[in-house]
Amino acid sequence: MNSFGANMIRSTPAWIARVTAMALSLCATIVTGADAPLAAAPATAAVTAPAATAPAATAPGATAAEEPATDASAPVVAPDTRALDEEIQSIKKDVVDLNRDLFVLEEELLFPANTQVAVFLSMDVGEFFALDTVELRMDDKQVTKYLYTPREAEALLKGGVQRLYLGNLRVGNHELVALFTGKGPNGQDYSRGAQLRFEKSVGAKYLELKISDQQRKHQPEFEIKDWE
Amino acid sequence: MAAERAYRLLGAPAPDFALRATSGSNFRLSEYRGDVVLVAFWGSSCGTCGQQLGVLSRMVDTYQSAGLTALAVNVDDDQAAAAAFAAAHPVSFPVLLDPAKQVARQYQVDNLPMLLLIDRGGAIRHAWRAYRTGSDAHYLEQIRVLLDE
Repeated sequence: MNSFGANMIRSTPAWIARVTAMALSLCATIVTGADAPLAAAPATAAVTAPAATAPAATAPGATAAEEPATDASAPVVAPDTRALDEEIQSIKKDVVDLNRDLFVLEEELLFPANTQVAVFLSMDVGEFFALDTVELRMDDKQVTKYLYTPREAEALLKGGVQRLYLGNLRVGNHELVALFTGKGPNGQDYSRGAQLRFEKSVGAKYLELKISDQQRKHQPEFEIKDWE
Repeated sequence: MAAERAYRLLGAPAPDFALRATSGSNFRLSEYRGDVVLVAFWGSSCGTCGQQLGVLSRMVDTYQSAGLTALAVNVDDDQAAAAAFAAAHPVSFPVLLDPAKQVARQYQVDNLPMLLLIDRGGAIRHAWRAYRTGSDAHYLEQIRVLLDE
């Protein structure tokens, strides 16, 4: 690792240092790996066309003029690709891990825990309501409007929970309004709203929009819950 | 292809969108990840749009089983006119409505018809800003390349 990388790691928190170290290590691996195919190229060529590339397949130090006949009649040795495959898989895994860590890092930078607010949506049953859109207004300002495809609505009905919004709010009192549109109990256009006044304190705030069926009234019910 | 070079989003991931179709259902582009997708922007006042949609419909019919799909995005202000035009030019894929032109702006649509070809990984690979006689052969050539990838 170069001095820039080492200095960077010393001056940053441990988890950032870990991501940086992984990135640098990965870069080093990729640079090393880039040389490998060049070194392996003659051997591969010898397998595909042994006669034509026989001189290239000779051992280091030997010349083509010394033992041309030996090389031409030498048994073809299959290249050991297993090690290379394992290395590729290892690099792929490192890339996936790095991507995950960078995603977490990005979220923590963009939405710090002390100002973070997240709104989730869940649906229960859905016999009396077919979801089409949800619009969220935070403090009278539209923050998201989401159009649902049949596949997405089905995923929610199967128990999926969607993170509909992630943003930042300052400490204090706020108001969330959710407007739902879709098809109601008799297949008619249906539009309803739900509202919640909440207090944002230091620390992340999680709210849930919950759509459920009210069997007694044969109507859908919309509520906003505060995850304490 | 000068038009392709000038299109800024070539090679970039296709921005995701969800729109309502003339059929009433909603469609989201990202649900077609893994397929080769044609996104055709059109308007009812455009002379060659109907002709292009017909050509695309036949291509989708032929190559659907190989993973080709299409979404037509109408950018008319008047949704009734768009629906009437779509009814007069029936196609085998969803006709989506974008009266607010949010999606058209995302895709930097500056001419109609405009056709985009998106690969299985979700990247915009080709853009055609006009439809001329013989364009379909060029479409087919590029579609086959992406279907084989």
